[in-house]
Amino acid sequence: MQADLKWLDDPQTFRVNQLPAHSDHQWYLDYAETGQQSSSFTQSLDGQWRFAFAKDPQNRIKEFYAPDYDVSQWDLIKVPSMIELNGYAQNQYTNIWYPWAGKIYRRPAYALSPDDLQVGSFSQGTDNTNGSYVKHFDLNESLRGKKVRVRFEGVERAMYVWLNGHFIGYAEDSFTPSEFDLTPYLKDTDNVLAVRVYKHSTASYLEDQDMFRFSGIFRSVKLLGQPKLHLEDLDLKPRVTDDFKTGIFNVDLKLQGQDGQVLIKVFDAQGNLVVDERKSAAERVAVHDIKVKDAHLWDNHHPYLYQLFVELRDQAGQLLEVVPYRFGFRRVEINADHVVLLNGQRLIINGVNRHEWNCRTGRCVTMADMEQDMATFKENNINAVRTCHYSDQIPWYYMCDQEGIYMMAENNLETHATWQKMGQDEPSFNVPGSIPQWKEVVVDRARTNYETFKNHTAILFWSLGNESYAGDNLAAMQKFYKDHDDSRLVHYEGVVHTPAYRDRISDFESWMYLPPKKVEEYLQNNPDKPFIECEYMHDMGNSDGGMGSYIELIDKYPQYVGGFIWDFIDQALLVHDEISGQDVMRYGGDFDDRHSDNEFSGDGLMFADRTPKPAMQEVRYYYGLHK
Amino acid sequence: MDCTNKIHVVYDDGLLGLNGQNYQYLFSYEKGGLESMRFNDKEWLYRPLYPTYWRATTDNDRGNGFNFKSAQWLGADLAPKCIKIDLTVDDRHFDQLPIAPLTNQFSNQEFAKQVKIEFTYETATNPSARVKLAYLIDARGKCRLTAHYFGQAGLPELPVFGVRLIMPTLATEFEYDGLSGETYPDRMAGGVKGTWHVKGVPVTPYLTPQEMGMHMQNAWLKIVRDQTQNNADHDQQPFALMIRQTEQPFNFSLLPYTASELENATHIEELPLKRRTVLVVAGAVRGVGGIDSWGADVEEQYHLPADRDYQFSFEIEPAIIE
Repeated sequence: MQADLKWLDDPQTFRVNQLPAHSDHQWYLDYAETGQQSSSFTQSLDGQWRFAFAKDPQNRIKEFYAPDYDVSQWDLIKVPSMIELNGYAQNQYTNIWYPWAGKIYRRPAYALSPDDLQVGSFSQGTDNTNGSYVKHFDLNESLRGKKVRVRFEGVERAMYVWLNGHFIGYAEDSFTPSEFDLTPYLKDTDNVLAVRVYKHSTASYLEDQDMFRFSGIFRSVKLLGQPKLHLEDLDLKPRVTDDFKTGIFNVDLKLQGQDGQVLIKVFDAQGNLVVDERKSAAERVAVHDIKVKDAHLWDNHHPYLYQLFVELRDQAGQLLEVVPYRFGFRRVEINADHVVLLNGQRLIINGVNRHEWNCRTGRCVTMADMEQDMATFKENNINAVRTCHYSDQIPWYYMCDQEGIYMMAENNLETHATWQKMGQDEPSFNVPGSIPQWKEVVVDRARTNYETFKNHTAILFWSLGNESYAGDNLAAMQKFYKDHDDSRLVHYEGVVHTPAYRDRISDFESWMYLPPKKVEEYLQNNPDKPFIECEYMHDMGNSDGGMGSYIELIDKYPQYVGGFIWDFIDQALLVHDEISGQDVMRYGGDFDDRHSDNEFSGDGLMFADRTPKPAMQEVRYYYGLHK
Repeated sequence: MDCTNKIHVVYDDGLLGLNGQNYQYLFSYEKGGLESMRFNDKEWLYRPLYPTYWRATTDNDRGNGFNFKSAQWLGADLAPKCIKIDLTVDDRHFDQLPIAPLTNQFSNQEFAKQVKIEFTYETATNPSARVKLAYLIDARGKCRLTAHYFGQAGLPELPVFGVRLIMPTLATEFEYDGLSGETYPDRMAGGVKGTWHVKGVPVTPYLTPQEMGMHMQNAWLKIVRDQTQNNADHDQQPFALMIRQTEQPFNFSLLPYTASELENATHIEELPLKRRTVLVVAGAVRGVGGIDSWGADVEEQYHLPADRDYQFSFEIEPAIIE
């Protein structure tokens, strides 16, 4: 198969040859490796790559992926990083309007009529900057002779991949992992991995988040080898009995490879073995309904995790792979009074929305950034996070499991410029809407988010995305979650604009920034859904006054779940100022970027350098009242 | 002049001077306010002390149009106008202000136990409102300042009502007894009562400079400087000013900038070099709000309607450095 530039224009082409999404577990050769969290099946490709920038698709270097193409004179770029922050393309911050607003007239394919394909919209887009990346690598000894895939953990926004001159695949969805099988073309040494990343494709319509518009390989790239018998997907479904005393352990495994044995062991935090199962390897292996008596339940105060090990052994009993995973028993539900319960107790969300942000590296954040954010959560009684408005880096979900931070795990979806025009609802060309050609791409985003993160105890709610209006396609996303997961609730705020879908979308009533009095009106009026503020207390600049009026609602109305403050951290960039000689914060419009929404993304409880704003003490106080 | 229990009053032609062992006040009739406040030979005023009505526009103010609605108060803040001065020395109220030639009747041997001088201002608003600043100075040089805003119908809401005291040099530190952190009427539940020490005169690094640094409900505030602009003063020892509550706790912000300096900068680095200290003692402070930043107003109880009276007072005196 050959790569086709026209895929950029087609909302129905968003994955080519991509491996199906699966759980985010890691696998190791033996227990010693699990202890060190260093797997001999993993080879990092992070670091310096060769790079060539082009201002539009017409100026791309066409045959750069050929193995003998000489890139030795190309620039070097660090992977992961953002192309813009390396100085190739202009920084731009816009909230609602698409970055091309007023420069290029575009409408989404099929949005105005079923035969409007918008051919060339992005493939010939004069604004469609792109980067060609080349990485030469030798395979680590430990990966040689094995099936090997490459995993891109985050690439904005559309990418084509070649290995040793062969087209490997294409993917969109900037914030979820994309994996491709490299095995057929892989050599032990002198491999040439070539990636072209386009800033825009039809995915740009779906990724209209309120943030700096960047592009590039901004999360890690890894090679992942698999032994002869391999766990491809782990699906834990821990349950809790009605008396909240017993955990019920369920697991479904998808295996790949030869015959062998599967050992499933679960230890409690004290090291007692509470599950010990042995099965013959098969494509699918399941263990269901194993009771764990006197189970310790997981919550914010006691994020008690059990330790699972899945061992894959060959027929002779030789260990081939071991998969560790920590999970908790917990139960989320809405009772007959429309109150959200966790483990039978009323759940209160003292949350924040958190963008992945670093003022030096943009959306490329480090473990240290995440650890610092988590410490800030703990210091300030923040018990919940909404991953606005995309999937975060994988380690963040593990940290939330471990620290007991409740998650609203949101899909990578926001389309507000297609239906919200100067503050008014005007959905005349909105996507995804109910347009058939835009259905699979958004269901795919739901699927990838679900399959990747389904085992995380911390996730109590899935969220379909942000500000994307509503229609049959959002309803299809909700149906996907309901068909696959009966252990969590589903949230989507935008359905307030389309009451006709109210019964098909969202377990919550959610209306961001609704004033406390209006929230109270809803709660007084025999609510049939619990109310959550998925965004509230817009913390732009010097604000956060009047928070108490929301917090009082918690005491008065059990159907009020609480909310997520918008948002956790200012999005601003640290830049050296030639005039003052200082390193200073820059925001939208400071890069001659027009249209720009200026400092509007400076709405964090933290300044962009991760120091808390003065208002944080207020948050700590009010969130401490219902700790 | 060995008189330590009385104020030496100098009835000069354009100024009223009040002098004591370790203090000196100059009230200017021309400038319509307190022009100089000297304790232990250290000057505390760079420009006359005037009322203040404006606070720099916050992002939320801009979003809900408060800066437009109340823009008159920015003009009022920049352009004070004194329309009346009342003087009472001990029990003697001057029906006519003692300016030349009435001053010829006095000598250099005028003393009093207490002096009260009141400045009445009209605001550059339409309609205008009246504000009175009353200074009551005792023999030890302690000054009690009472500020009164007389409610006026037909005016937009006030951003703040206070007095602004601009010091000639930058403070090195300050200490206060009140709530921790930066607090506002609608954001002070998390403030912890205590005595707080702050190094320098920090500026909160909001992306765009805006109203910042308010401290609510204080019993006292001590401001320390170690430099003057007096070319003959080579002393580097720190010296301090004390602000104390009278009946009610007071609110203040201490910054290197005035509200209008903050208003004009789009980034912190565009602000002037830090060189002066601007103390705002605020009797009435509008909330900052926070429901959203594109329309939501501050909650009702945290507004400052202009048709209502506001009054507050506090005391000023030199402080001991320990």
